[in-house]
Amino acid sequence: MEGIIAIWQRDLIKFLRDKARLFGSFTMPILFLLIFGGGLSGTMETMMTQNLDVGGDFNYVQFVFPGIVSMTLLMTSVFSAMSVIEDKDFGYMKEILVSPISRVSIAIGKMAGAATVSTIQGVMLFALIPLLGLNYDLMSLIKVIPFMFLLGAALSGIGLLFASFINSTQGFQLIVNIIVLPMVFMSGALFPISGMPGWLDVIVKLNPVTYGVDVMKKIMIDVDQLSITVRETMGLNLTVFGRQVTVFEEILFILAFTVLVIAIATLSFKRANA
Amino acid sequence: MNSVIEVTDLVKTYKNVDAVKGINFDVKEGEIFGFLGPNGAGKSTTINMICTMLPPTSGHITINGYDVAKQKDDVRGSIGIIFQENTLDEKLTANENLMLHCRFYNVPKDKRHERIQEVLHIVDLIDEQNQRVEEFSGGMKRRLEIARGLLHYPKVLFLDEPTVGLDPNTRAHLWKYILKLKEQEGITMFLTTHYLDEAEVSDRIAIMDQGEIIAIDSPTVLKDELGGDLIELSTEDNDQAIQEIEDKVTGADVTVNGDTIHLKVHSSDAFISNFIKTLDIPITTLNIRKPTLNDVFLAYTGRHIQTNDE
Repeated sequence: MEGIIAIWQRDLIKFLRDKARLFGSFTMPILFLLIFGGGLSGTMETMMTQNLDVGGDFNYVQFVFPGIVSMTLLMTSVFSAMSVIEDKDFGYMKEILVSPISRVSIAIGKMAGAATVSTIQGVMLFALIPLLGLNYDLMSLIKVIPFMFLLGAALSGIGLLFASFINSTQGFQLIVNIIVLPMVFMSGALFPISGMPGWLDVIVKLNPVTYGVDVMKKIMIDVDQLSITVRETMGLNLTVFGRQVTVFEEILFILAFTVLVIAIATLSFKRANA
Repeated sequence: MNSVIEVTDLVKTYKNVDAVKGINFDVKEGEIFGFLGPNGAGKSTTINMICTMLPPTSGHITINGYDVAKQKDDVRGSIGIIFQENTLDEKLTANENLMLHCRFYNVPKDKRHERIQEVLHIVDLIDEQNQRVEEFSGGMKRRLEIARGLLHYPKVLFLDEPTVGLDPNTRAHLWKYILKLKEQEGITMFLTTHYLDEAEVSDRIAIMDQGEIIAIDSPTVLKDELGGDLIELSTEDNDQAIQEIEDKVTGADVTVNGDTIHLKVHSSDAFISNFIKTLDIPITTLNIRKPTLNDVFLAYTGRHIQTNDE
């Protein structure tokens, strides 16, 4: 336990000291908020509410904001896993690997570090809520934070997997960029994923971000208050094998995914010979 | 004396290369054990296996009574390693680096502060402890790494090229600290170095070449075994000089190394005056000396140890 906290704390201290990283990672979500929330919101609303009678009830920005927070979680947590490669590059991984700390603690510590960093970044985005003219219930914002941590942990696991077989930070960034953007687009973060062609639908349903985004939206947006058509428009009726999934099942899925990636990451640290 | 490290029939085979071919040795408690060999001799492979970082193909290693294959965590807790390359976190302060180490090695919470101050005192970094490591000089970083390696009171401290890349002044300073450690703490040290003069501090030296240990003894014995003195000379025409030596001189072992002829003789005092008279070719340089570890190394491996950092 001590070892997990030590590894977690080290990554956190380093994140807080690195001001460029702290603010640099905001440019992407803000850019997306500007483009999708500002520039495209009218178009998106028209497109999404075509042939539907939802009147003024549908607000695209309210739909896209949890998606962009999820996107930030994905990007920050996956990129935070790059610290594993940096530690290999700068030799610190040796110091960790020759110590008696258990390999599973290394994996959990690294994952917790990435999850914390991404949660902090996600929560910082909440500061934009009043500026965007949005209105979320304070309680639902507080309730979503533990889930953000879980999602960050799960997604950082993807980063850890890549970091275990990629040895250069450049290679890691390249691969991650190739992987991350499709994961964002195929998740319902930016537009509803209902009515996708069959093969894309398979990708969407396999993508863990899909369930993360769905839970984020369901917690942040007061779903029960919305009319059925608006929920349909927002794509909040996610079905797998023709059955509508519950928030509980989705969280269970993400939890299982997290445990799986921890197991794989532990194995990779066991094999590691830095 | 008890053995802290026991290596038995250790073998490491990569796909088609035998990196380590069944070596045996032990390291006694409290000694400085020098581990020398040319690049590619299998030194690093051996050390990695001893430090639990690489599984052996076969053979057996115990450290401090623990089996390296089965009791990895106990072994890891018993050893401290100063790696050849820097493994400090430069973005953190010296103190933070040490504190992390305490936590990785489960140093009891109430002892951490005291121990950190203790090791910082040994390496004279008390006043710099709250500076970030990136502001440190190469020598300071090295000292900090040594301090860190001591924090959990290891039974054996591995020093892998501890002074590589440092200027001679800093090297000398660092050795002062290392020897002080040996005196004060009686800690066992396992040393690899390219600087053979530094290996002189070892109580015993093992020379490894092509996956095997070809000599193991104290530096004095190793040098004495070479026998006698060394005469190095160069002449205006070395080929002709060698011919003359072969014809007229007895009681000398002749080898050629670049531009110089090496003669190994039992006693240079009795040999030299006659020898100079015998030789017709004019001698341009002449040097008589006792054997050094470098000569030992050369005699066993047929190579000079490489002094570059590669």
